[in-house]
Amino acid sequence: MPVPAQIERFVNAAGQVGAHVQTFADPSAAAAYIAAHAGGTCLPPLGASLDRLGFAAALQQSGAALAPGIDRANAAGAAAAVTGANFALAATGTVVLESTAEMVRLATTLPERHFVLLDPAKILADDLAAVPHLREFHRRQPRNYLAYITGPSRTADIERVLTIGVHGPRELHILLLAGLSADCLEL
Amino acid sequence: MNKQRNKQYKARINQALATPKLQDALHRFGDAYVVSREKAFAGLDFEALRKEIARIKDEVRANHQHYLDEFTRNAEAAGAKVFLARTAEEANTYVADLARARGVKLAVKSKSMASEEIHLNRALAEAGVKALETDLGEWIIQLAGQRPSHMVMPAIHMFRDEVAELFSKVTGRTEAEDIDHLVRVAREQLRQGYLDAGMGISGANIAVAETGGIALVTNEGNARLATTLPKIHVALVGIEKLVPTLEDAATVVRVLPKNATGQLLTSYVTWIRGAVPCGDTDKELHIVLLDNGRSALAESPHCRDALRCIKCGACANVCPVYQTVGGHVFGHIYISAIGIILTAFFHGLDNAAELVRACIGCRACVAVCPADIDLENIILSLRETIGQEEGIGLGKSIVFRKVMRNRKLFHSLIRAASLLQKPVTGGGRTIRHLPLFFSSLTEWRTLPAVAEKPLRDAWNSVPQKLEKPRYKVALFGGCANDFLYPELGLDVIKVMNKLNVEVSYPQKQNCCGVPALYSGDKETAVALAEQNVAAMLEGNPDFVITTCPTCTLALKRDFVEFLHDNPVWAEKAEHLASITVDAAGFIVNQLGAAEEFKGLADPEKVTYHDSCHLKRGAGVWKEPRQLLVTSGRELVEMEHADRCCGFGGSYSLTSHPDISRRILGDKVADIEKSGATCVAMDCPGCMLQLRGGLEKKGAKVRAMHTIQLLAETID
Repeated sequence: MPVPAQIERFVNAAGQVGAHVQTFADPSAAAAYIAAHAGGTCLPPLGASLDRLGFAAALQQSGAALAPGIDRANAAGAAAAVTGANFALAATGTVVLESTAEMVRLATTLPERHFVLLDPAKILADDLAAVPHLREFHRRQPRNYLAYITGPSRTADIERVLTIGVHGPRELHILLLAGLSADCLEL
Repeated sequence: MNKQRNKQYKARINQALATPKLQDALHRFGDAYVVSREKAFAGLDFEALRKEIARIKDEVRANHQHYLDEFTRNAEAAGAKVFLARTAEEANTYVADLARARGVKLAVKSKSMASEEIHLNRALAEAGVKALETDLGEWIIQLAGQRPSHMVMPAIHMFRDEVAELFSKVTGRTEAEDIDHLVRVAREQLRQGYLDAGMGISGANIAVAETGGIALVTNEGNARLATTLPKIHVALVGIEKLVPTLEDAATVVRVLPKNATGQLLTSYVTWIRGAVPCGDTDKELHIVLLDNGRSALAESPHCRDALRCIKCGACANVCPVYQTVGGHVFGHIYISAIGIILTAFFHGLDNAAELVRACIGCRACVAVCPADIDLENIILSLRETIGQEEGIGLGKSIVFRKVMRNRKLFHSLIRAASLLQKPVTGGGRTIRHLPLFFSSLTEWRTLPAVAEKPLRDAWNSVPQKLEKPRYKVALFGGCANDFLYPELGLDVIKVMNKLNVEVSYPQKQNCCGVPALYSGDKETAVALAEQNVAAMLEGNPDFVITTCPTCTLALKRDFVEFLHDNPVWAEKAEHLASITVDAAGFIVNQLGAAEEFKGLADPEKVTYHDSCHLKRGAGVWKEPRQLLVTSGRELVEMEHADRCCGFGGSYSLTSHPDISRRILGDKVADIEKSGATCVAMDCPGCMLQLRGGLEKKGAKVRAMHTIQLLAETID
């Protein structure tokens, strides 16, 4: 378990780069938050931890409109994606998503909002602490696509003015939910 | 020298100098960068990190075939096709042929300097493939038909009104000059491109030999889209991007964003290994490893450290020349200090020849380089190569080879100049106007007159009566102290005698050789090194003290390097280096004598200008401040205290006076803003520049050497 200081460091760092971070006591509260902030159709939740939780049903109960599946066409049209996270990095406020399955990539690149459910038990110290897990991903799955996501998409290409949401999600919400998963190798 | 090329280059400089809006933007960016970078590295050991990056990259350079093989094997095992392109042409042909064979009409690109390097878009266009840049900055300059002016922020030279005009042409509407709006326009306009494109092209920040994977460090998210949606992914990767392990990759990721933009981490770090799923099949992944001059660079002992570069662009961010003229002047395709070096090897010496001379040698880039590359030293070595290839110009050649190496002739010519200048000095100490074609040199600063009696002739006029001197030291004056400011040397005697130190002035000392070296004439510099080593060690002094930090660097660094494999001189040069120290550092560190001046000075408001070679060469900046404060001066720090004054020797006199003038203007403004009535420094070159600039402007601020200010405190 990370010490509370580690969680605090993560929350601060993620907040600094414009992610919305909030702690939830139970899945239904998290689902209600997503339903309230999705701004339109949600893609079905992605990740073994969320499947186990039956999070799709929780979202529907909260009144979220869920797309039937994820493909190029409906991902481009959806307002929001909901995913788990493999783990997170406290030093930089980063969530790490093993994104080899194309659906994960479509969901986390095309819609304007991305909701990530993270068990605070999976907050690691920093990028170097992540390396053993990266190596294990490679061992298990020789072809892979791993994403470090730190805040929403941003640019400073016009007059060096920081502007959010140029190509990827304009909003990144990180929902801390204890008891979700302790396994850094599962999403 | 190529006259036509030089003329075009001068025209580009003039055009840039006539764009104050650009200079203003680059200055503001540079200021903000320094602050955010420092914040990003808080709590981390930058020196240790950059040494680690240097170690990683040197390891790959030394064993590059091994790591290339390892990378290729692992990438191919994961379903990638790997092609090693020896030249730009081979890389272009490979990608264009692939696109043609697969019937690709549109390729979406994420930002890649390697693709700029080889002009990939042009090659694709010739193959009937439209390349669409999706990085916002790259798209802007693609629409404008330009090239990047910064490696990380390609459109840093453009403003919102220009962007709005470009975007309006694309959409057929009038787009508002509002940045949020313009970013939304780009999002909407480019989105369909990812879905329609048959090919996505990316670069890579890292290639990991251990896994055969690549990593992309980005902010916008376009690289994630371009590597996900199209069926084919082509990654164009310079072979210098290889690192052995995932730990090494993590170190690069840790440093790159902090040093590039002052971010702890970019929004995205994307690790791709092999052909991942794409739709109902697998992606076709092609990794084009690009050599194009990199192997040649690895073979150059003087330049090969440049292969450590992780392309953060920091050397531009802090460069006073870049801030003055921008990347379209101070760059070819790669920009700024590292750009000069890469241009020479990737695009040919001819394209680098003018840029090599544009570096003012202030070492600001060396201080922030995350790969510990001594960019200035490499640029000097290239200047030497170009000097050999093209000659350094007949005038310089005669001065250095025929005159400087012959000390007696050199010094008698300077003495003659002191007589010849009378018509313009009127017998005074400064030259305010020069006649005819020299007049532009005194338009913006006065110049010091050559002293009637140089220091070497005046030396014995000051008797030194110390019964038991603590040390016997020799002063290396350097040309400026000797012939322009002899009074500074006499003040050295005064200050040292107060501290019970006897000073001698070895008469056979000559120019330190830096002007020759900076002009590309190393042979003369080496000859002068031998003369000076012999001259300075003749009386077997305890220490050699200096008043000019550029000379200090020559004595401590260059002489050793020039003579290290010469059995006659190597050991002597080492010894001289070990006993050479700048005067202020000597008083504080060797003598521990700052307190001797306690409270003796008038409480004048003094600001301190850090000379480039003192702070970033000798690592001395605290000592002179300590002396000023202890002696009772009121020290007020100016902004950008360690930014170059723009002197750079012949840089300000002959090669780039217009750039020098602008950099001086910045410095004078900072000095005036500080409210001080005196600016202190420890370099006669800076004194020449700052006195000249302040005097011409009529500013009531005196420019003094720290030693002179100490001498003022002695009766």
